[in-house]
Amino acid sequence: MKVSCLQENLAKALGIVGKAVGARTTLPILANILVSTENNQLRLTATDLNLAISCWIGAKVEQEGAVAMPARTFIDLVNALPQGTVSLELNVRTQAVNIRCGSYNNDLKSLDAQEFPIVPTTEGQDGIEMPVELLRSLISHTVFAAATNDARPILTGVEARIRDGQITFSAADGYRLATQTGHLGAPINHVPAIIPARALHEVARVSHDPNTTAMMVLSANRSQAMFRIGNVELVSQLIEGNFPEVGQLIPKSHQTRTIVSTSELANACKAARIFARESAGTTRLKIVPGNGATPGQVMVSAVSQETGSNETTVDANVEGVPVEIAFNVQFLLDMLSAIETPNMVIETNAASTPGLFKPAGKDDFLCVVMPMNLNR
Amino acid sequence: MMQVIGHEWAVHSLESSAQREQLRNAYLFCGVHGIGKRTLARQFAQRLLCQQPNAPCGTCRTCKLVGLGRHPDVLWVEPIVSGNLIKSAKIGIEAIRELNYQLSLRPVETTRRIAVLSQFETANDAAANALLKTLEEPPGNALFLLTASDELALLPTILSRCERLNLRPLPIRTVQSALEEHWQAPADQAQLLAHLSAGRLGWAVQMMQNPEALQVRQQALDDLSQQLSNSLALRFVYAEKLSKDRELLTVTLDHWRTWWRDVLLLVSGQGERVVNIDRLSGFKSLQQRVTAQQAAQALEEIETALQQLERNANARLVLENLLLEWPRLLVAG
Repeated sequence: MKVSCLQENLAKALGIVGKAVGARTTLPILANILVSTENNQLRLTATDLNLAISCWIGAKVEQEGAVAMPARTFIDLVNALPQGTVSLELNVRTQAVNIRCGSYNNDLKSLDAQEFPIVPTTEGQDGIEMPVELLRSLISHTVFAAATNDARPILTGVEARIRDGQITFSAADGYRLATQTGHLGAPINHVPAIIPARALHEVARVSHDPNTTAMMVLSANRSQAMFRIGNVELVSQLIEGNFPEVGQLIPKSHQTRTIVSTSELANACKAARIFARESAGTTRLKIVPGNGATPGQVMVSAVSQETGSNETTVDANVEGVPVEIAFNVQFLLDMLSAIETPNMVIETNAASTPGLFKPAGKDDFLCVVMPMNLNR
Repeated sequence: MMQVIGHEWAVHSLESSAQREQLRNAYLFCGVHGIGKRTLARQFAQRLLCQQPNAPCGTCRTCKLVGLGRHPDVLWVEPIVSGNLIKSAKIGIEAIRELNYQLSLRPVETTRRIAVLSQFETANDAAANALLKTLEEPPGNALFLLTASDELALLPTILSRCERLNLRPLPIRTVQSALEEHWQAPADQAQLLAHLSAGRLGWAVQMMQNPEALQVRQQALDDLSQQLSNSLALRFVYAEKLSKDRELLTVTLDHWRTWWRDVLLLVSGQGERVVNIDRLSGFKSLQQRVTAQQAAQALEEIETALQQLERNANARLVLENLLLEWPRLLVAG
C-alpha cells in the first residue's frame, strides 16, 4: 500500500472513526484502525463489534492495499504532524507503515488487515433517503428515553418503524417512552429494527451539516443498520428480540388537558430540580383549572428535608378536573428539550396513571412518563 | 470434518446434530484438565461457522480467526485470575452480563453467535444465575459451549439446560502417536509424556512445549528420592525451603502423587501401568522394601496435604507433617 493525503483530512477522519475503537481486550485487533484504499480514496474504519465507523477521504493512491494500525498511536501521531501532505507506505515484509510528512519520518508497526472484522458498506444497497435534519430530530427526540443499563438489552435500543412512507423512532426504559415520527418522500415499508442508542448518539454527532442528505440502510439479513452521511458511514449491529408494543403504552383518554408555555414550564422544572436532588427527582405538578376570573395554573414544586422547598406557578389553559401528580424532574426536562413548539400539551388522568406530553398543534412527537409516588 | 484427536463418539454426535441442523442451545464438555474440551469447542465453532462445503476447512478466514480465538462472532469467556496471596481464577457476574448484552446483538459476520465459557466450574453462583435465562432462551440462534472439569461443581440449573458430553482420557498409544505425528516429538519423549499424561493430550502438549515444566518434574522426583533417604532434620530444612513457593509446592506434590501411585501399582503386581517410566530402576529397588499398605498410606497423605493447601493451611506445617510420616528408604537411580 502506498498512498498520500492531507494531514487535516486525515486528522479529521481519525477524530470521527476513533469514537468506535474498541476498548475490550479480548480481541486485540479492535484496538486498531483499518486503513485501506478504495477507488482512489482512503478508507479509515474502526469498530468495537457493536458499532463500526468508516470515513472516506480524498487521497492519491499509488499502490492499493490495506493494513490495521494501532489506533491510539496512529491518532496521536497524525495530530502531532504539521499541516501538509502525509504519505503512508506499507512495508509488507516487516508489516511496518512508513509515515512521512515534511521532515517528519515515522515507522509504525501494524497488523495484518485480514484479521480485521468485515465491515459492510451501503454501496449498492437500497437505502432510505431523508434530510439530515429529520434524522437528527428522530434521534435526539427519542434517544434520551432508552435504558442505559444492560438488564434488558432490548430497551437499550431505539425501535425504527417504517410504514407507508412514515418513519417512527421509539424508545422506552420502563419509566418513560418517547416517539418521534417523520415523513419520507416515498411510500416505503420495512420490518422494524432495534438500533442501539449508543450508535444513534454517534450518528447524531456526525450529522451536523443540515444541507446534506442522510441515507439509512437496514441490511437484508436484518443484522445491521447503516447510516451514510456525507463521507462517513456508521454500521450498527441490531438488537435481537421484540420491542414492547408502543401503541399499547400510550394512554388513550384523559381527564385533564393542560396547555402551557414550553419555556416557562422548563424554567420551573429547572428551579424544582435544585430542590428535588435528595428525593430522587420527585417534582409535583398541581394542575388547577381557571374559573372565568383567574386563568388555570400549573404549580411546579419540590421539597427537600435539607435544602428547603420551592414552588413556581405557571399560567396555563386547563380543561377538565384538577389533579396533583408527581414526576421525575429529569424525565420532564429531557422531554421538554425535545419539544420545539412554544406551547405544549399535558394530558393526565390521575396521580397514579402515566402522563402524556406533546407539542401543541403537532403530533409528530409524544412522550409518556410514569408518575412517582406523591407521598414520598 | 472436525480435526480432533480421539473423542470420536463426541465428534460424531456433534457432527450428526450439526448435519441434521438439530442443535441444542447449549453443550457442556466435561473432562479433566488438558483432555481436549476447548479444542473440541473450537473445532465445533469452526464447523458451525465455516461456509466451505466440507466444514470446517481449516483454511478459510473464518476458520483461522476462530482457531486463533479472534473471530468476532465467537465470544470467549475465561476465568480471570485475581488475588495476591492465594491466586484464584473466577468467572464473575460482570463477564456474564457483558456476554448477555453482546449476545443480544445480531452476529457481525456470520449467521450465529457462539459463546464459549471455559472452565465454567469457576463461575460463582451469582454469575451462573445471571446466565440462566440466556442459556435457556438464547437470543437469535446463539449457541453456548461450556467446558468444565467437574460437572458436580456446576449448579443443577445450569446442568439441566445443557447437553452433556463427557470426554474420557485417550488411550496412551493414541497420545503417543499424536505427539510424534502432529507435534514432532522424539519417540522416547513422546512415550514418557504419553504415559505421564494419563490420556490428556492437551496436558502432554503443554508439558512438551514447556521444558521448564519437565524440569520441575525432574527436580520434584529427585527431591522425593532424596528426602526419603534424609534424616528428619534435613527433611525439615527442605520443607522450609519448598513451602515458600506455594505454587511450586502444589505442583511438586502432584508429581509425588504419581510416583507413589506407581510404587503402589508395582508392589501390587501391576507394573505395566506405571506412568513414570523413566524412573523404573528406582521403583525396582524399592519393590521388596515397601509394602502396598505403606504406599497407599503415603498416597493418602499427599491427598490430604493437597486438600489442606487448598484450604489455605500453613504450607510449611502441611509439608513437615507429610514428611514426618514417611518411612526412611534408600532409592536407587
